[in-house]
Amino acid sequence: MRWILFIGALIGSSICSREKFFGDQVFRINVRNGDEISKLSQLVNSNNLKLNVWKSPSTFNRPVDVLVPSVSLQPVKSFLTSQGLEYEVTIEDLQIYHEMDNIASDFPDLASRVKIGHSFENRPMYVLKFSTEEGVPRPAIWLNAGIHSREWISQATAIWTARKIASDYQRDPAITSILEKMDIFLLPVANPDGYVYTQTQNRLWRKTRSLNPGSPCFGADPNRNWNASFAGKGASDDPCSEVYHGPHANSEVEVKSVVDFIQKHGNFKCFIDLHSYSQLMMYPYGYTAKKAPDAEELDKLARRAAKALASVSGTEYQVGPTCTTVYPASGSSIDWAYDNGIKFAFTLELRDTGTYGFLLPANQIIPTAEETWLGLKTIMEHVRDNLY
Amino acid sequence: MQPRRPPPPAPGSGPWGPRPAAPLIALLLLLVPVVAAAESESAEDRGQPQDAGLQRRLLQQAARAALHFFNFRAGSPSALRVLAQVQKGRAWINPKEGCKVDVVFSTERYNLESLLQEGEGHLGKCSARVLFKNQKPRPAVNVTCTRLIEKKKRQQEDYLLYKQMKQLKNPLEIVSIPDNHGHIDPSLRPIWDLAFLGSSYVMWEMTTQFSRYYLAQLTSVRQWKTNDDTIDFDYTVLLHELSTQEIIPCRIHLVWYPGKPLKVKYHCQELQTPEEASGTEEGSAVAPTELSNF
Repeated sequence: MRWILFIGALIGSSICSREKFFGDQVFRINVRNGDEISKLSQLVNSNNLKLNVWKSPSTFNRPVDVLVPSVSLQPVKSFLTSQGLEYEVTIEDLQIYHEMDNIASDFPDLASRVKIGHSFENRPMYVLKFSTEEGVPRPAIWLNAGIHSREWISQATAIWTARKIASDYQRDPAITSILEKMDIFLLPVANPDGYVYTQTQNRLWRKTRSLNPGSPCFGADPNRNWNASFAGKGASDDPCSEVYHGPHANSEVEVKSVVDFIQKHGNFKCFIDLHSYSQLMMYPYGYTAKKAPDAEELDKLARRAAKALASVSGTEYQVGPTCTTVYPASGSSIDWAYDNGIKFAFTLELRDTGTYGFLLPANQIIPTAEETWLGLKTIMEHVRDNLY
Repeated sequence: MQPRRPPPPAPGSGPWGPRPAAPLIALLLLLVPVVAAAESESAEDRGQPQDAGLQRRLLQQAARAALHFFNFRAGSPSALRVLAQVQKGRAWINPKEGCKVDVVFSTERYNLESLLQEGEGHLGKCSARVLFKNQKPRPAVNVTCTRLIEKKKRQQEDYLLYKQMKQLKNPLEIVSIPDNHGHIDPSLRPIWDLAFLGSSYVMWEMTTQFSRYYLAQLTSVRQWKTNDDTIDFDYTVLLHELSTQEIIPCRIHLVWYPGKPLKVKYHCQELQTPEEASGTEEGSAVAPTELSNF
């Protein structure tokens, strides 16, 4: 499948020569005796399953970590169960987290992977921090992606952007001067549980995977869960709705983790949230049709960013405030950011305009990331030159 | 449907016939309270930008509804059109009855390949009158479009598609089109185009002044043998509704033969509304859409 090749090319061959794709899992298998070791060897050596031993035991009663490609999950699980081998699935969805780790180790003076919290199902929430000076919390930019799990171009664009920032530092004057003055924090998977769910169960899942007591439906819309006119227009109090706001603001631990981090840091100047689809560049507010105090400046900046984006492949974006450009939406991330002193708050709805929608083909990942990068740079340059 | 650029607001008189001044003023007065009610804002907040924004959205909704209807009635999977740009138009809102929209828009051929191909910007033009009946489905549509594809070429492509469908092995072992990574095998394209055609009927019926539908994915397909050479197939689509963000599964059954009107039956599961939507359409027996005057 083309996504495999493109994601593989995107990320580069780091650990294994085999191409990886979203959905690979690490099985931690407990082997208690020689008999179990030989059963496990049998499994690992079978060619068609393409398993990869990560950590093999030197003694019994120590677990073996085996990387299982997504396509082999079912047969491996069946084998382990039928042979009575104990196992647990450890890290799910490795690829993006691995790549983040790789970027941090490839560019140790610039990038580091920081854990800011965990998801409902206890997956780590990792951001990449790009900083050219340690110590003081410098004015910072927050790039948010993947809050709605089915919007796969968002996570893909984010991870491409991460490597772009790292590799272009000290090569491209624009990003270099931005990083000389500010830090960049990038959260490529703001909703890890939802993301794994889209790979394993339901490609079109949007929300988190939290439990709603008394309801058969799972999850809340993490982009209706922020404390900005929470439970206002454009959100639902029905747990089964795709725009269910949750029981209270920041009820979703994924949202709370970001809120806590940003508030603790205290010096963010820009918050950009990547979504798909519709090709829109929007600024506050979503929760009201009232004009934001900085609407004019934000509108001008968004138009310049959209123009820069269009200069790459001609992709046209519409610009405007959320409420009247797309629809009313309360409890959204950028409204919260804006009302909390982060002036340069934008939502980008990436490609396309409905032809493929959420199922954007792999061959559009890099073109989308490349054009979006120009838009992001335009915004970040303006922030750099207009720090407050 | 793919709007490209928000059109400038269209103030002033529309081009569709003379109107006495008094009813026009009455209509404009009716427009204001509807805007206020929809936005729940104070008097100071009502102003040009909001009215223009509302107008723009209504024009786009009308254009989309008209295009869904046009695609269905044209009955040609090779001649599907998408919205390029709304050019001009006017919307009248009557709080009791609904919303009447006159709109002119450009269209281009539905194209799954790379978004922009130089030199392929053949734009068709359509003008439509659409009546949204206060959030009730089945907007009344009267639409005419300039020819985009030469008739003979369209017939040839339809017939080619027909043959490809007939040659598909049954039962079709398809999980989804596109697959979860957005890929459609070229051999399965005819299925997708035909499914899009049938879905156009469903999307037309379901579009209101607020709800906007897109075809997200095809999740099951079954083609039936027929005695009369028609294409007969059952499929499930997942429609994505933008304002609620809901994914709506619909089972659709369609019967098609090149050049003949499309026959569609469908049943959608709706989450928000208690009733489930379903409908039937026989191309040859469609009642002419009626537009009442305000």
